[in-house]
Amino acid sequence: MKLAFVTPRYGIEVIGGAEAAARMLAERLCQRPGWEVEVLTSCAMDHLTWENTEPAGTSSVNGVTVHRFPTASQRQLDYFDLDAKIRLAPSAVGLAEARRWVALNGPMCPGLVDAVAVTDADVVACYPYLFATTVDGIAVSPVPTVLHPAAHDEPALYLSAFRQSFRHVDGFVYHTQAERDLMEYAFGNGAKPQIVLGLGVNDPAGDGRRGGEILGLGERPYLCYLGRVDEHKGCGMLAEYFIRYKERHPGDLALALVGPVSDKAPDHPDIVVTGTVSEADKWDILGGAEVMVNPSAYESFSLVLLESWSLEVPVLVNASCAATMEHCERSGGGLWFESYRSFEVTVERLLADGELRHRLGEAGRQYTERYYRWPSIIDRYTGFLTGVVARGHHRPTRVKRLVQPDAGREYVRGG
Amino acid sequence: MVSDEPSPSADAALNDPVARVGYLAEVMREIDAEVGRRRASGDLPVGLEQELDELFLEFSPVGLHGKARLRETLSLVDRSAYVDIAVPVASQKVIGTYVKRLIRKSMGWYIGFIVHQIVKFAWSVSRMLHVVVDHVEDLEAAVEVQRTPPLPPSVVPGADPGASWWAAEAVSAVSGVEGRVLHADCGAGSLLDALLAAGVDAYGVDPAGSVTESAIGRGLDVRAESLLDHLDVVADDALAGMVVTGSVQWLHPNERDRLVRLVGSRLAVGGVLALHSATPESWMGGISPVVSDLAPGRPLHVETWGQLLGDRGFRLVGVSSGGTDRRIDHVSTGNPDAAALNATIDAVNQALLGPGEYLLVAVRER
Repeated sequence: MKLAFVTPRYGIEVIGGAEAAARMLAERLCQRPGWEVEVLTSCAMDHLTWENTEPAGTSSVNGVTVHRFPTASQRQLDYFDLDAKIRLAPSAVGLAEARRWVALNGPMCPGLVDAVAVTDADVVACYPYLFATTVDGIAVSPVPTVLHPAAHDEPALYLSAFRQSFRHVDGFVYHTQAERDLMEYAFGNGAKPQIVLGLGVNDPAGDGRRGGEILGLGERPYLCYLGRVDEHKGCGMLAEYFIRYKERHPGDLALALVGPVSDKAPDHPDIVVTGTVSEADKWDILGGAEVMVNPSAYESFSLVLLESWSLEVPVLVNASCAATMEHCERSGGGLWFESYRSFEVTVERLLADGELRHRLGEAGRQYTERYYRWPSIIDRYTGFLTGVVARGHHRPTRVKRLVQPDAGREYVRGG
Repeated sequence: MVSDEPSPSADAALNDPVARVGYLAEVMREIDAEVGRRRASGDLPVGLEQELDELFLEFSPVGLHGKARLRETLSLVDRSAYVDIAVPVASQKVIGTYVKRLIRKSMGWYIGFIVHQIVKFAWSVSRMLHVVVDHVEDLEAAVEVQRTPPLPPSVVPGADPGASWWAAEAVSAVSGVEGRVLHADCGAGSLLDALLAAGVDAYGVDPAGSVTESAIGRGLDVRAESLLDHLDVVADDALAGMVVTGSVQWLHPNERDRLVRLVGSRLAVGGVLALHSATPESWMGGISPVVSDLAPGRPLHVETWGQLLGDRGFRLVGVSSGGTDRRIDHVSTGNPDAAALNATIDAVNQALLGPGEYLLVAVRER
């Protein structure tokens, strides 16, 4: 069986997010006897510019065959105007304008879409929903097509362009039950074949160093955030809440923000911003944390929760994020906050109560062991794909490819 | 007082999922109580607390999971409805402050006129939203009073539809249809296995999440939700067949009405419905007292289902009876009162003790 992943960007440099999830799945699946995996992707690595930075052509990334195609243009400034406009009432936006938004969001990659149209794979998997490569890939795929939406509750989800596109999907693969509920609510796709798969967790691979030593904190206790340091991930709010907390609770406690920095990093003596760290350092920092905090309200899975639980580190999540709340409620491995007050009280309680931390961490570890180890994930995924292929594919006849937007002023990072 | 060392009893409780969930709920209750106590104490300046809460809301979704935040979101609107025309004039250079102040003063009459209208509009919208939210909350309160509590899944006895007398007939009824077939309530998936073995593209739903885990683990497409909740997220004409049993028997009349409407739209024209139910008589006699007391509705006679479905464009194509037969045997003809007794037995058998279940098969014609 041959599977072709279609994803806007791909590579070990892409940290976190749906594209990294696609890579993890592809790398495990290609090791499964009887399965061949290839990836069709763009030459871009930066989702904000779509600048072609990788060479076009075929290469191998960790054993997976990757075909790269250049993007037709970089992101244009028109995107931001239209994005601001559609945010007000996305479901009221007309189909033509919604499709224009998708095209402007990009990446527009005509060579990639041509390749999907003549693929010799048995099944195509598009990952994630938000991008032009997915909408065009679904439109032209000649074989059964599954979608890994990696969706969260954001205005773009309600655009009619996606509703039209997803009618032609032959199966849906979700990260969490909450994501399935959201997609069913938005698209009424309940009768389509689907599976809540999630992602597997690797075994912890630290070097055994003390997290505080790596962070330059010595023996000081610390909370840890792991992922892209970005306003939209809730990092600004977390930093603000932490600073208020420290004003009211002077002491040794520090906050470590670990990951690539998208926005201006918070500047405070008790906050350490590491930037990107090695895999071993990541695990060691995580293992030394009192609590791992994920303040993001927009997560579709949050692998970092499961990584924390692998090390029996309890977590604290944003109560308005359905995916991370689902993990905490199902596992009993974490607590949540819904205001500064509850952040303050919950952090206080977690830091003061060692038994609570132990019980949460252990419950999380058991949950991770039971549901999120790679062999069982791949078993379920291959079973699902086999079923989708057996059902066959009704190729859409009236859906056209997206139209390349007229050339406009290009967005420049930091410009 | 809290401690830093795990206790032996805590370790034991870790392996019990119910205890884990209970523990988490208890901790969150304690935290919520403490949050409430601190809010009441007013130890944070009101303005600062609002600012911090707004920061949270700013990065929270307002769609599907934001419905419960109606009041909080409305207060955000209220706070944003005022537009301040007193533009800050601070500057790093003295001349800058002077220039800014001059511009503010000279433009004040103009900006003030525009801002007055914007604020007036924003306040009108805010007032209207308050009225809407008040109405919504009144409606919610009125609906809550009339809400019929569902039957707790924990009291419903487990079923094994794949081993039932009607399984083969149900499989036969939907074999050969073109498209997906929904089975509810599918339990652990025994009838789904039979449907799939017969080449039917079947999937299932069941409101009892605990019984569906084994089916999901076997790779079946099974969702832990009620039939009604599921049909709400299915597109019109998306199903080619349905095999229905379990909770459909004790739906509240309003829900039953909703079910018939949903079945009549989600099932494509030509689609097949196979509905299994106990008879009202056998259900009352055979089901546990807890279920019969707490169930929001009662099973219907087959004739009533026929009527309801017929009104929605279905044609009845078959009815079979089966299940536990509790009929009393006739007394021997040697008994001098045999004729009278047997007539009475026949009447009792017919009214109360006949085949306790039926399978109805109908096709959507329009």
